[in-house]
Amino acid sequence: MLKSLLKTALRSLLRHKASSLINVLGLSIGISASLVIYLIVHYEFSFDTFHRDGDRIYRVVSKMDFPDAVFRNCGVPVPTVKAVREEVTGLEGETFFITANQTKVGVVEDRASAPKVFRKQQGMIYADNEYFRFFGYRWLAGSQEKALAEPFSVVLTESRAQSYFPGLAPSAMLLKHVTYDDTITVTVTGVVEDIRQTTDFIFQEFISLGTVEQTGLKAQWGWDNWGSINSNSQFFVKLLPGVSPSGIEEQLVQVRKRHREAKDRKDDTQHFLQPLPDIHFNPDYGIFDSSPSPVHKQTLYGLLAVATFLLLLGCINFINLTTAQAAQRAKEIGIRKTLGSGRAQLMLQFLGESFLLTVVASILSVAIAQSLVDLFRDFIPPGVTYASVFQWHVWVFLAALDVIISLFSGTYPALVLARFQPITILRNQMFAGSATTRGTSIRKILTVSQFTVAQVLIIAAVVVSKQTLYSINKDLGYRRDAIVSFHVPWSFDAWQWSRTAGKSDLRRFTLLNRLREIPEINTISLAGDPPASNGTSSTAMKVNNGKSIVETMVEIKYADTSYFGLYGMKLIAGRNLLQSDTTREFVINETFARFLGFSNPIDAIGRSIQRHGMIPIVGVLADFHTKSTHQAIKPLAYSSAGKSSFMFHLALKAGDPDSWKVALKKTESAFKEVYPDQNFESRFFDETIAAFYKTEQNTARLLNWAAGLAIFISCIGLLGLVIHTTNARVKEIGVRKVLGASVTGIVSLLTREFMMLVLVAFLLASPVGWWAMNRWLQDFAFRTGLSWWVFALAGVFAFVTAILTVSVQAFRAASANPVDSLRTE
Amino acid sequence: MIKLNHIFKWYTNSFVKTYVLRDINLEIKEGEFVSVMGPSGSGKSTLLHIIGMLDEQSDGEYFFLEEPTHTLGEKARSELHKNHIGFVFQSYHLIDDLTVYENLETPLLYKKIGASERKSLVADTLDRFQIVGKKDLFPNQLSGGQQQLVGVARAVITSPKLILADEPTGNLNSAQGSEIMELFKKLNSEGTTIIQVTHSEKNASYGKRIINLLDGRVTSS
Ligand SMILES: Nc1ncnc2c1ncn2[C@@H]1O[C@H](COP(=O)(O)OP(=O)(O)OP(=O)(O)O)[C@@H](O)[C@H]1O
Ligand SMILES: [Mg+2]
Repeated sequence: MLKSLLKTALRSLLRHKASSLINVLGLSIGISASLVIYLIVHYEFSFDTFHRDGDRIYRVVSKMDFPDAVFRNCGVPVPTVKAVREEVTGLEGETFFITANQTKVGVVEDRASAPKVFRKQQGMIYADNEYFRFFGYRWLAGSQEKALAEPFSVVLTESRAQSYFPGLAPSAMLLKHVTYDDTITVTVTGVVEDIRQTTDFIFQEFISLGTVEQTGLKAQWGWDNWGSINSNSQFFVKLLPGVSPSGIEEQLVQVRKRHREAKDRKDDTQHFLQPLPDIHFNPDYGIFDSSPSPVHKQTLYGLLAVATFLLLLGCINFINLTTAQAAQRAKEIGIRKTLGSGRAQLMLQFLGESFLLTVVASILSVAIAQSLVDLFRDFIPPGVTYASVFQWHVWVFLAALDVIISLFSGTYPALVLARFQPITILRNQMFAGSATTRGTSIRKILTVSQFTVAQVLIIAAVVVSKQTLYSINKDLGYRRDAIVSFHVPWSFDAWQWSRTAGKSDLRRFTLLNRLREIPEINTISLAGDPPASNGTSSTAMKVNNGKSIVETMVEIKYADTSYFGLYGMKLIAGRNLLQSDTTREFVINETFARFLGFSNPIDAIGRSIQRHGMIPIVGVLADFHTKSTHQAIKPLAYSSAGKSSFMFHLALKAGDPDSWKVALKKTESAFKEVYPDQNFESRFFDETIAAFYKTEQNTARLLNWAAGLAIFISCIGLLGLVIHTTNARVKEIGVRKVLGASVTGIVSLLTREFMMLVLVAFLLASPVGWWAMNRWLQDFAFRTGLSWWVFALAGVFAFVTAILTVSVQAFRAASANPVDSLRTE
Repeated sequence: MIKLNHIFKWYTNSFVKTYVLRDINLEIKEGEFVSVMGPSGSGKSTLLHIIGMLDEQSDGEYFFLEEPTHTLGEKARSELHKNHIGFVFQSYHLIDDLTVYENLETPLLYKKIGASERKSLVADTLDRFQIVGKKDLFPNQLSGGQQQLVGVARAVITSPKLILADEPTGNLNSAQGSEIMELFKKLNSEGTTIIQVTHSEKNASYGKRIINLLDGRVTSS
């Protein structure tokens, strides 16, 4: 039976080549999109799901409330750890670690030869022994209980150990030495297996926490300070079974009450327990300092929505074309019924056919997925590759998807078909049958929904692109073309290990003088970050504005005397900064002045900000954007502080890219002379700004594709329907032509109805698109408007594409010789 | 086996009733071989469709194997089709996407007959109708007569209790026609009930009883 049904199904698919092709194509686009999106979503949700008792592991995070701002931090004040260990009940265990910056590593092979050097090693943390118990590592050498008990010991993962000591067995690596930044030497006391599952705990090198206490790091990280929170201090706790996180959070309040300094003031810091699975997704706290930003769950949901829409459009094509062709299957249905086939059996047969078609589409989509992965490579997490398709759960997903799709798209046509009564068919009364007219109105509704979805997607794509263009081209309050900046190394590296702050590194001033000699550079500034950058450093500032003392969080930036001129920033009151080694005076932005209550910026001049001593405000800058247009402009203060300035800004000759290359080449060679063992990495300022909108640009690209595919699927569906109608009306067309109808007359007769449907869809899509995109734009503090032409563009695009598709087929039918069609009847 | 009481069939077109069958009373016993005759449009096919439960009467009662058919659901009806009735249609009606072999096999599949028995039944039938050479052709590759032959073959392959044939020889040459009639006669002698519609006196003479229809009424039976 199955074989026979399969045969009929295959032959019927082959006989209706056009609609089979349309169905397979439409469905496979949807399925391949779903496949890739499934891979992404599955990957993102598989992070750190494998830890034993993971549901009882939490990270302790902090939230600080200031009058006009809330700050969240994934760390805790260091002394909290000890206090919690001693005073909090309900915990099975705790582990504390500190994530470290990039470090230069030297591997000592033997006393005689020079150490092997690895610059900029990443993935190092200062950890305790408990860490390995929490996150389940397997030991290849050494032991969890003892490995990190002593200062100056280190545990390596197998892969890191192999890069340091190639060819050695793990046990032979024990007692080997590694140096950090040429200053401290640690002993290898253990080797653990790398974590093979998907994880954010990608650390490779674990230095004993005790090491910190023996070095200058202790002071730098505020080891005993209850008032300072660094996001590199990571505190994880494991609750006893049955203990509620909120109970622990309450105990944490008590701990702070007992210990913190400045007990007279209200406590602005609060701790929360962040569940392990939340770490990968929560943008408030981030993952770890050096990790990529958390995954935006909203984006994942958006992707799921796109996949669902594309699938729906493909299913609609299937439903429309199958019911439109019902008449052609009717005879077979009638005969099968007289031969004793029940309705259920027929339904099964048709569902089987839709399943077969879906499976064919799936096979095709596995191939299409390859190009999708390539096309969206920078959008897809690096852990997801085309090879990820070949995992058992992906096949289970595909099989389940196929069943769902074939049930969804096949049930209605199967119902319609199986309901045919043999007598109407055997008597060739199909034309009078009412089943077809009902089918027509359902087809109309489905086609309208298809084009509505497609047009909403077009509107979305246009608006996102428009906003991105707006953001990138907006006047941000400074010049951005032909400006290059680069870092020189912080002198910090050298003194972080020693107990006393070491000699300061003055090499950057040598470089400054070298660069001044390069004629291709117009202006140079040695300062802090450019006006817009990713990082922010903020601090609370108190100012007496003449009436009262106002306190707020202020973003701090460093300039020098040429900085404002170089970036074309406007001083609207007061004067430029004077050169200084440490902060002596401030230039603030307009927003800060307004916050202080000075509607006229000039009134802010001469007021003092309470820092370490009173520091005067000497100038006010016109407002400018320090971040993307998502964010409102916040209070900000510039000071000149040579000691904190490690970034060079070069203004090159505007509009002369050839000279930029020369300038950069010369700069690099000067840099190499001063810093022979460092890499020169420069960045154009306009690229930095464009990078703020990477998400939007990616979204725009994704939406462009989604909209394009949606309109494509909808149009081929329309094409299928037109092919069907023209075939069904071939005789009518012939008669009309014989009676003198023109080709254009017939084309418009055949296409008018379809174009009406697209028009109705436009009327539906416009308000939906307006509503959705208006909501999306609310996320931007500075946003473009929803102009009428956005909607017109979407409508015209859909209309033109549809009319082109439809007319081609209609024209072919209309220009055929009427004699042929009439004679064959 | 078949009992019709006051069967009427009408179509309502723009509030005007057109009668196709009027007050048909008939009884056909198991093992009969009946020929239905009458001019074109007299309602022969309609009557056959009602007897075959493909169409429903507008009024009156119909008992098939002692059971009132109007109480039968779609499922019960398809069971009867599957197990007891073989149809031969006026316009042959083969499944276009299946070959001759597969067309013959289909009713056996619905009867859930095992593969080996199915194979031998199909082979026998192909042999008996001398269409072995055509078994892999599709209906549109056959002549009208050949299609009709396949239609007859498909009706008899399940050895049904009742064969309903609507002009089974309409497209056959006289030699083929009489062969079919001989076959029917043989089946009938083995116990199969046969009701055929025919225009030909000669074919009718193979049967034991003739029902004449005129304008939807039985004029003689
Ligand atoms: N749906 C319908 N509406 C109205 N009249 C119908 C309908 N279907 C059939 N008829 C009429 O019923 C009558 C009987 O048709 P039927 O097919 O039973 O005739 P027949 O005796 O088999 O003729 P033939 O010898 O040509 O096959 C015809 O006059 C036909 O026009
Ligand atoms: Mg007839």
